[in-house]
Amino acid sequence: MTQAESSAATTGRDLRAPFGLALVALACIAPLFLGNYPLHAIIIALIFLLPAHGLNLLLGYTGLLSLAQAAFFGIGAYTSALLAVHFGTPFYLNFLAAGLVTGAIAAPLGIPALRLRSTSFVMCTLGFVIIGQAIAKNWISLTRGDMGLAAIPKPYFALGPASFTVSGTVGFYYLVLAIAVLATLAVYLIVRSPAGRNMIAIRENETLAESVGIPTWHYKLVVFMISAAFAGLGGSLYAHYLTVVSPLTFQMYYSTTMLIIVLGGGAGTISGVIFGSLLFVGLTEALRIAPELRMIAYGFFLLGLVFWFPNGFAPLIGRLSSFLEKRK
Amino acid sequence: MFYTIIEQVVNGIVSGSVYAIVAVGMTMIFGVLRAINFAHGEYYMLGTFGAWFAIEHFDLPYPVAIVIGVVATAVIAVVVGNFVMQRIVGAPAEAGVLATLGVALILQNTVILVFGGSYKFFSGGYIEPVTLFGFTLAEQRILIIIVGLIVFVGLELMVTYSRIGKAMRAVSQNIECCAVVGIDVRHVALWTFILGAALAGLSGVLTAPVNVSVYGGMGELITFKTLPIIIMGGLGNVRGTFVAAMILGIAESLVATYVGLQFRDTVGFATLMLVLMWRPHGLFSAQARF
Amino acid sequence: MTIELSRRRFCIGTALVGLQTLSSSAFAARSEDGTVRLGLVAPMSGPNARYGSFSMRGAQMAAKEINGAGGVGGRKINILPGDSQGTPVEGVSATRRLIDQDQVDFIIGDVSSSVTLAMQPVAEDAGVLLLNAASSNPKITYKAGVGGFKWTYRNYPTDENRALIVLQYAAEKKGFTKYAVLSVDTDYGRSAIEFTKKYLPRFKSQILTEDYYKEGEVDFRSVLSKIRDSGAQAIIMYGNADSAPIVGRQMIEVGIAGKIPLIGNAEFNTASTIKAAPKAMEGAIEAAAWLPTYDSEKSKAFVEKFTAEFREAPNNHAYVHWETTHLLAKAIEQAQSIDREKVRTALSNIHYASAVGDVTFDDHNQARLPMILLEIENGKPSIKGAYSAEIDYPK
Repeated sequence: MTQAESSAATTGRDLRAPFGLALVALACIAPLFLGNYPLHAIIIALIFLLPAHGLNLLLGYTGLLSLAQAAFFGIGAYTSALLAVHFGTPFYLNFLAAGLVTGAIAAPLGIPALRLRSTSFVMCTLGFVIIGQAIAKNWISLTRGDMGLAAIPKPYFALGPASFTVSGTVGFYYLVLAIAVLATLAVYLIVRSPAGRNMIAIRENETLAESVGIPTWHYKLVVFMISAAFAGLGGSLYAHYLTVVSPLTFQMYYSTTMLIIVLGGGAGTISGVIFGSLLFVGLTEALRIAPELRMIAYGFFLLGLVFWFPNGFAPLIGRLSSFLEKRK
Repeated sequence: MFYTIIEQVVNGIVSGSVYAIVAVGMTMIFGVLRAINFAHGEYYMLGTFGAWFAIEHFDLPYPVAIVIGVVATAVIAVVVGNFVMQRIVGAPAEAGVLATLGVALILQNTVILVFGGSYKFFSGGYIEPVTLFGFTLAEQRILIIIVGLIVFVGLELMVTYSRIGKAMRAVSQNIECCAVVGIDVRHVALWTFILGAALAGLSGVLTAPVNVSVYGGMGELITFKTLPIIIMGGLGNVRGTFVAAMILGIAESLVATYVGLQFRDTVGFATLMLVLMWRPHGLFSAQARF
Repeated sequence: MTIELSRRRFCIGTALVGLQTLSSSAFAARSEDGTVRLGLVAPMSGPNARYGSFSMRGAQMAAKEINGAGGVGGRKINILPGDSQGTPVEGVSATRRLIDQDQVDFIIGDVSSSVTLAMQPVAEDAGVLLLNAASSNPKITYKAGVGGFKWTYRNYPTDENRALIVLQYAAEKKGFTKYAVLSVDTDYGRSAIEFTKKYLPRFKSQILTEDYYKEGEVDFRSVLSKIRDSGAQAIIMYGNADSAPIVGRQMIEVGIAGKIPLIGNAEFNTASTIKAAPKAMEGAIEAAAWLPTYDSEKSKAFVEKFTAEFREAPNNHAYVHWETTHLLAKAIEQAQSIDREKVRTALSNIHYASAVGDVTFDDHNQARLPMILLEIENGKPSIKGAYSAEIDYPK
């Protein structure tokens, strides 16, 4: 836990709630002064936020480095897409199904994987992504292979007389915002609970945690499944937003994106992940002003992250704001 | 029928040799730096580009181009090693992943920036087919197999008898004690890295004549092929990696023939996953490093 | 705790300020500046950059030619690049940026079909003309024009006709009935084979083995030995230009060069490919939208200019993007305005004299393009005919 988190914990929750609300309120009025393109960027940031939350739970709080987020992201995307395209089911069904299916699939994958040592575990999780892509490409009767699933309908809420379809960038923005807020709350509750403290104990010293009676194996598996479910939910949003899914959804690039968001923002903090997500998308989009240098600059950014900000940007911001505090 | 299988095994040995030269470099780097080098395939690409450039713009003969390709890769490895890889020693795994990913992006896209994104033709090399025991192979492939063996034997000798080789073993076994006996860990790490990268570059130059197409993004696939090999071979275990590379080459060949070429690239990771389920420590012990 | 509050506020504030900067007019210029703003979305970085770079240069050369001749109705064409990296998310981001930030009215893109499919709804919602020059997924135009997306146009042939023409020639002129498939494992390769299978019964032919190779694959020996022993008379290959020479060389190694020809399309006809493996390429049959040796003044001029300017020969992607840029310019000229609706109408009714013949669009906004059938004889592509056919749209 960072110093800020622990100090907040001792003083209680009263500060977080009003601040969180202020943040959400700000986000709600954002469409009034931001155009479609920045809104699109925020939408992408919030879609990525879900799998990033999952990875944060796994890596930041439980200490397991995983590259599998892209695999679960893809599974969630395809689940949602298949339901929407073949059955025309309403959005909330596709969304929940994506999360449940992904979480369920994570169980038989996680059980053998979690037995492995750290490096082998990382490679195994990468393997999930690669196998996932191969399945998406070759199980043509289900996924239509490389042709992909296109024309995924816009999110439809079947509420009897109050049914509506979310359309347009602004509409989608609010949908994703609402979901992101709920997801963040869920993560917050998990982390604040006794289970959350146990996760941290496992991260700090697994053997010690085991010795005081924490069932580390069960925790790791459950967190793996929850992390996968978050990624699946993100995938569902992705499918409905882009309206097309293809085997390209299963690529390591997404896994590394999540990793950068979590590590860049500050692993083990919730605000860090939110910041990381916005920072990452803001950066990749801002770099479009120099298209040839974009990926090179991004590579240098990664190096900078590793060598100068090993704990992510969050502590830097903390230092900056405490510096500002002293000035007052 | 029998002949077909043998033929596919021979094909497998050829591709296995290519993988082996690249993989032993990556596994040595892991043994000493404890970092998975996600940029390893890029050194393969750099070697190829170096040789291509020498042939294309200076009209140099292929053997000279080989040397130039490897030297170019080594030079870049010195820079990367000094500024990036040395600092990863002792850092957590995430640091290594992100740093090498960053290096990969930089190398790949700098090459695209400098040479243009289009694919180039590699002219040069010994591509005339020759028949041995009823199998037809381009001469270049026989060269690859021979070089693969030389590399393997050379590494074994170096690691067993030379000072730097023994230092490498020491660092991969116990970093803390190295300081005690006076081994400069960062120095060893740097040289291991340069050697590993140069080997990748060598593999690139040797396969370029038969692979024909040269482009900035070609390294990524190599990285993905090599990762499962080094895990299966036992991280840091040169002998194990060599064998694992051969096994993968042969398995890929057989799958391509009897199941379908589209499944070929999955063989690596699929085999890895199966192996890990059954033997979580890899096919060969990671304890028996080097 | 005040530290907690400030830090959080700072984080979010910084991020939002950053995004505000993005939306400010720092980079945007209104399209009232008297130029034609054309966005080009293609993979420009990463492994797929090898396809985007040709596309970009083709378009740029066309723009230079047009501007050199005084522009379109006095306006110069300004090409703004967008990097899709070959993935749908990046493609959509690039498209969004081009539309909202750079204020483009027209976009040419992408090379990869799944990116194009993702771009379609974005362009449609914004009323921006999306000209596709290189994607092969038939869905793109099944859903265009009267199919729904009226702002999408495609100036690239679909594989439906390509597959038929190739198979027909092989069966009728060569008498082949047994084939092996070795196509690229993308929607292009797969859908071309799907279409081929549709027509197999008509020619009483069969596929003996079916394999798909990953883009960037370099080792075909195993499959080629399998094909050698299978009794296939020809290999159906729909793939990318950079794979053809590799396959050719390995065909020589395995011993099937000159015995089992390649048919389909993978830019077999380019000089460098033939040079790389002449024995294997001999007798290859290809259905192409264009080839560098096409005998028309315009085409030859294009090849010459491109080679002179960029010091390497143009490929198919370079050509199609060059042609499409000129097509757009013609449409703007005919509409006598850059009003998008007028240009769109002009495009629907256009008769464009391309380097390979007259181009018109059908009601699904798909260009009716002639397909050139060629066979490689004595090391040179020899054109056997040009075919055109209407597409059977699903109801």
